[in-house]
Amino acid sequence: MNWQLIIFWILAVIALLCAIGVVTSRNPINSVLFLIMTFFAIAGHYLLLNAQFLAVVHIIVYAGAIMVLFLFVIMLMNMNAETEPQKSQLVRFAGVISGGILLIVVLAALKKADPALMSGKSSDIGLISNLGQVLFHEFIVPFELSSVLFLSAMVGAVLIGKKN
Amino acid sequence: MNEIVFTAVFGVFLLFSGLFIRSKNAIRFIAITGMGLAFLVNGWEYFHPGNDWPGGMIHADHVSILFNAIALGCTLVYFLLSGKDFEQLGEHLAEYFALVYFILCGVGIASSFTSLLMLFLAIEIISIPQYILAGSQKSNLKSNEASLKYFLMGAFSTGFLLMGIALLYGSTGTFHIGEMNLGGSGIDPLVLTGILFLIVGLTFKVGGAPFHFWTPDVYDGAPSVVTSFMATVVKAAGFIAFLRLFSIAFSADNITAHWTLVIALIAAATLLVGNFTAVFQVSVKRMLAYSSISQAGFMILALVGLGTLAWDGILLYAAAYSLATIGAFAVLIRMEDYTYEGYRGLGKKQPLVALANTVFLLSLTGIPATAGFMAKYFVLSSALQRGGMLWLVILALCCAAVSAYYYFRLIWAMYFQEGEPAILPDRITPAFKGLLIFTALLVVAIGVYPGLVLNWLP
Repeated sequence: MNWQLIIFWILAVIALLCAIGVVTSRNPINSVLFLIMTFFAIAGHYLLLNAQFLAVVHIIVYAGAIMVLFLFVIMLMNMNAETEPQKSQLVRFAGVISGGILLIVVLAALKKADPALMSGKSSDIGLISNLGQVLFHEFIVPFELSSVLFLSAMVGAVLIGKKN
Repeated sequence: MNEIVFTAVFGVFLLFSGLFIRSKNAIRFIAITGMGLAFLVNGWEYFHPGNDWPGGMIHADHVSILFNAIALGCTLVYFLLSGKDFEQLGEHLAEYFALVYFILCGVGIASSFTSLLMLFLAIEIISIPQYILAGSQKSNLKSNEASLKYFLMGAFSTGFLLMGIALLYGSTGTFHIGEMNLGGSGIDPLVLTGILFLIVGLTFKVGGAPFHFWTPDVYDGAPSVVTSFMATVVKAAGFIAFLRLFSIAFSADNITAHWTLVIALIAAATLLVGNFTAVFQVSVKRMLAYSSISQAGFMILALVGLGTLAWDGILLYAAAYSLATIGAFAVLIRMEDYTYEGYRGLGKKQPLVALANTVFLLSLTGIPATAGFMAKYFVLSSALQRGGMLWLVILALCCAAVSAYYYFRLIWAMYFQEGEPAILPDRITPAFKGLLIFTALLVVAIGVYPGLVLNWLP
């Protein structure tokens, strides 16, 4: 067994256990902390796949910005068991059934996935220089047009945040 | 593609002009002029097509340009009719207009994308300014609720859309909708799952059942002037993107066999839910929200049809439905009381306004000699063309008959019930009346001579 495989298994176990912890822990703060752990483990997987840029962005954006936002929201809302809306058993049952069906569909689809499509690509594809090459040649149009998206989001943030 | 660049740049220009120009009339004038210019710039491309951008992710053909022209024309009418009502939203007039321009930039991408990546960008550029506009009345709790609900639901549905795109990419190895080659003998389950997710995501965005739950609350809670735009141009753009994707990428016979029934059931559910719930509404605004669901049901029929007739139908529908709804909302904004009672006696007090409103409602019902009839005719015949859909067409006709009830109820209230309609003071100017009549004439003109729109198709 080479060291990459060992690290992969360790990371996979951490990611799965923490993901289960997100769902099962009673305290929302613990949930968020588990989620951060999951994100770090997944970032480790990205590193194993030689995608450094994705790993760094994943940590900065998800584990950093979004999770801090989550924590703030949870602390501000001051949630506890009494204020939690009660779901009827029927709704829970329906949720489990439909979620389970979706799981089966996705599993069936992924089972037939062709790994050849992935392995055909060069392993350096995730390096920053390659990413820049692709981003500024092949994907230049969506790159530029996404500026409209961010501009409107910024306008919105100012509009909503500003005092009248 | 001219339209995409022009609207994006002009939106930025408007943001800057808001910094230097204090006069609200001047900003409104700039916004209206810009929309007229955008219409011309877009029309120029029809006659002088340019080269595609590098990467080939956007290709504006004549259908895209025609739809852009419809969207820009409807927005021009909307600005002219309701531009003054933007002042109700708050102080930052230039920003609101700029956001509408950004939405139109997204509409331009939605009508001409050839890559799933651009589809995603288009949907997001259309959605995000809407979340902001829906919540622009910050002190109005209903507006806040509408914005938050729309944002959370929209973000959730975007997840489905992205998952679908990822699965399709994972199976075909390309984002390009023309190069997926799904027509082969064996079908990858990944592709089918991806298509299913795309259907869920897009149905959500256009407000079709069973993913319509956000629609009435958001349309009712958002400021009326914003709802008027959300329910028309934006919804039509969603359908153009939907139809473009499915008619180019998933139209091979062995693939349609898998999703046509799903779409047909969604259409049936949307028609039933929209029409039968609209019947019970007390508020005209909420009735128009449910009516927009029911009209979406008719537009989904074009997806069942898929063919040249479907394109004719969806373009006519976009024009007919947008013009009529924008007109009906322009009248609604001027009423103090949004219930049916509030419209009582409008026929006596404002005969011209009531007449135009009647034409809009008749068009929404689909009465012959109005644009709505022709639009419904083309959409239904496109669905008939694909055999085995007779049940759906009959259901749609029954639903159209049901819709007559709630539209005619408003006409009845305007003409045959005594009352004193409470109209906001100084809002019905001669210019507004003239424009409203012009819009009504346009609706009739398209209904009598649909070639007005369709002759531009190649």
